[in-house]
Amino acid sequence: MAYVATRGGERAIEQAERLFRQDLGTIDANRVETIRSTMPYLIDRVMGEASLYDEELAALALAQTGGELSEAVLVLRAWRTTQPRLSIARPVQQHEVLTQRRISAAFKDIPGGQILGPTLDYSHRVLATDVLEGKPFAPPAVDKAATPAPARQPSLADWQRQQGLVAPAKASNVPPENIPDLTREPLLFPASRAHRLQSLARAETGGVLALGYAAMRGYGNAHPTVNELRLGEANVVVRHPRGTEFAAGRVRVSQAEVTSKEKGGYLELGFAATFGWNEVKVIAAATLDLNSAAAPVGSPVHEEFYLYHTESVEASGFCIHFKLPHYVTFQSILDAMRDAKAKQAAAEAKGEAYVAEPEEEPVL
Amino acid sequence: MSLATLTKDWAATSYGFLDASAKRELRRKMLKAIAVPGCQMPYASREVPMARGWGTGGLQVTLTLVNPNSIVKVIDQGADDGVNAASIRRFISRVSGASETWDTLGASIVQSRHRVPEEIMREDQVLVLQVPNPEPLRGVEPNISIARQMHADADYGRLWLTLYEQIVRKGRIMQGASYPSMVNGRHVMSPSPIPRWDVPKLHMARHLTLLSAGREKRLYAVPPYTRVEPLVFSDRPYLVEDHADLTCRRSGVQGFFMNELPQDGGGSVFEVSDSNLGIKAINIAEGTPSEIGETWYRHGEFSA
Repeated sequence: MAYVATRGGERAIEQAERLFRQDLGTIDANRVETIRSTMPYLIDRVMGEASLYDEELAALALAQTGGELSEAVLVLRAWRTTQPRLSIARPVQQHEVLTQRRISAAFKDIPGGQILGPTLDYSHRVLATDVLEGKPFAPPAVDKAATPAPARQPSLADWQRQQGLVAPAKASNVPPENIPDLTREPLLFPASRAHRLQSLARAETGGVLALGYAAMRGYGNAHPTVNELRLGEANVVVRHPRGTEFAAGRVRVSQAEVTSKEKGGYLELGFAATFGWNEVKVIAAATLDLNSAAAPVGSPVHEEFYLYHTESVEASGFCIHFKLPHYVTFQSILDAMRDAKAKQAAAEAKGEAYVAEPEEEPVL
Repeated sequence: MSLATLTKDWAATSYGFLDASAKRELRRKMLKAIAVPGCQMPYASREVPMARGWGTGGLQVTLTLVNPNSIVKVIDQGADDGVNAASIRRFISRVSGASETWDTLGASIVQSRHRVPEEIMREDQVLVLQVPNPEPLRGVEPNISIARQMHADADYGRLWLTLYEQIVRKGRIMQGASYPSMVNGRHVMSPSPIPRWDVPKLHMARHLTLLSAGREKRLYAVPPYTRVEPLVFSDRPYLVEDHADLTCRRSGVQGFFMNELPQDGGGSVFEVSDSNLGIKAINIAEGTPSEIGETWYRHGEFSA
């Protein structure tokens, strides 16, 4: 079967994968644990985009893919899809979040106070090259405050509602099983707010940043002011079949609320939250949410555009599929092109005028 | 009766990888798609251990249809041993226990990217096409919400207009593959990027064709014996690729869709795109028993 031998695909791909894995070496529990404990923000980002909260599995996915982020997210999501949905947790209330960091740019001080928490915001971003000279970098110990900040902080928007600055909450009491779930239903447009926020929660950080930045820079019509940015831990409260509620564990969450000028007598709020601590993502996502209502259809800050194009697994998958052979479709284009050229030559030979338009790629 | 007799042993994944709720949704959507030929049905589209855009839509349909008695063929650009085809086929058989084949005649399910096999498929076979862009209106209306409304209104005027403009500008319709086609006189579909050569094979075909786009979360169907009519003007006939007179340099077959191979020093040679058809032809020439079924095209003329 001479025809087959020249292709030799199957053996080659097996070796190509081996080559990739050989570079990474043996992966053991030790390496997974090192990644988990030393890269918490990377782990958080992967867990958020995979919509799966499991630090150990996220670290394993990173180890297994050598830190190729979109691959790590895909591996985790593909694993997640095989797992049953056992229960639906009670919605997390802002004032119940165990808050480590909470700031507002809208007010100098807010009820409950500004809590800086862990941040690099005011640091000098200097590379610690000393480490390479053999001088380990040991962070100085934190001086504790005289009085610890309260673990729970009130919601700023609640205070704004009381003052009549923000429209009264329209939250309806939806039974947990009726909350739409993006992983079990297709995203349709106009999207329900639940789907929009779920989609933003698992959106690709870089993509959300790019489109959120576009909205901030002038392609949207609402300038965001950070109303409240919060990093904390939320209890996952689920209901036991006997009816009692209990916390099944805690997850790190980040949440941003941004606000704009008034509309109809109230300040508008944009909101986003995600698994893990990822401030850039929630601020950018909340800005997109804030802009949604007035965004022109078809613009990059319209929900259909940004929700489709920040879906990391879909975007990266489609991008890399262009490496697959396309010779059948390409052959079809060539055929049409040659035929059109022949028609043009025939027309010119007969002395007929032929209007040559700029090349236009046919839609594939 | 103990609990153990009522339950199954724990397994890391469900049969055929997808869990029961995903398969249930896909079955319902496939039935709806068959009931309204050519109409795109949204579905949740689960993540599978393969990159989106690499056939995850076709894979989810195949994983739902497959059973241990199935015989699965997977094609990429006409070839069974393309890297992605081989990988998908291996995955399906690994998680389902189905057997694998390269032979169109011997397969019960054919999953394909960008080609319809040259041998005529039967009523007991299913063709699953992987679809990158299910929306035929994408080129004239990128917004999905508006495009869905246009389908509902059977409003295809802008699509006709672009085809007309191509004739005015270039003297012919320039659409290469994924030629927009009217299904059952109602819905225009994108027949996946199969070449124009393959579109007539879907018209009044004996087999069921399911088209599924995992990334775009849409599936649609061409049921058996259903009209599939490419959009053409009455005075401009539908043109398939000009491959009728090309000969495969390896197998010697003529009058099928070919791959062009550019040669050093100019010029090109051709190889038949349906690779297993080529293999069969070589086998027959070498005296090895092999059977080529009836083909849609005979000597480059469509004849089904």
